[in-house]
Amino acid sequence: MKLRIETLAEVTYVIPEGRLDFDAAPDFQEAMERLLGGGTTQLPAVIIDGAGLEYASSAGLRAILLAARAAQRAGILFGLCALQPAVREVFDLSGFSRIIAVHADRATALARARQGRP
Amino acid sequence: MTVQRTVPAEASQLAVLNQFLRDFWTAAALAPARMGSFELALEEIFMNLVMHARQPGIAPRRVELTLSLGPDAVTMMVEDDGPQFDPLSLPPPDLTASLADRNLGGLGVYLVRNVMDTVSYARIAGRNQLRMTKRLAD
Repeated sequence: MKLRIETLAEVTYVIPEGRLDFDAAPDFQEAMERLLGGGTTQLPAVIIDGAGLEYASSAGLRAILLAARAAQRAGILFGLCALQPAVREVFDLSGFSRIIAVHADRATALARARQGRP
Repeated sequence: MTVQRTVPAEASQLAVLNQFLRDFWTAAALAPARMGSFELALEEIFMNLVMHARQPGIAPRRVELTLSLGPDAVTMMVEDDGPQFDPLSLPPPDLTASLADRNLGGLGVYLVRNVMDTVSYARIAGRNQLRMTKRLAD
């Protein structure tokens, strides 16, 4: 899995490409911890853009849950957007859609971030 | 059509089994979009066995994957030579817990039960056998 991070306007987008499986989850988790736990820059909002994410297993979901918790502790708005159907399915099945914000696309995520809501 | 592959219970072998699954899917001329559930179930079940293999004395050493194409469904069977353990006996995760309280365990098997149509466990001839099936049409 490849990971890009870019900040546009008020939102920092995390863009994973490929598979978030047991193999990729530790690196992803570490990158998210660096981003969310650094404490140096206060990021207003962090959104995972899932357009390029083809697959996520429970190992990947755990890493996303830990990132959401770290964001909550740091007072950073956190969510996901543009999930592919297969990833959306496991996200819904796991019950994560109830505790982590999922937006249709970047525009929706940005609009919510501007309102100060996840 | 039935194919079978045996590997050691080591994390690096998941890539081998994934490729085996992809080859089966191609040979059976099945719709690629239908493979995702099997890919997910394979990772969850195989990695659970690998995690157990790290604990000395209760380690499965070999894992056998069998894939069968039936008239309207695919069956995937994962067998191991570890001590008796029924993953379906694990309690489901609490889906109503808050973000802070949500337990991180138990999710993998829960996902497998939900993406497959049927999942059953049997202990046969000193081996654990987990059989999963999913229909090919809705």
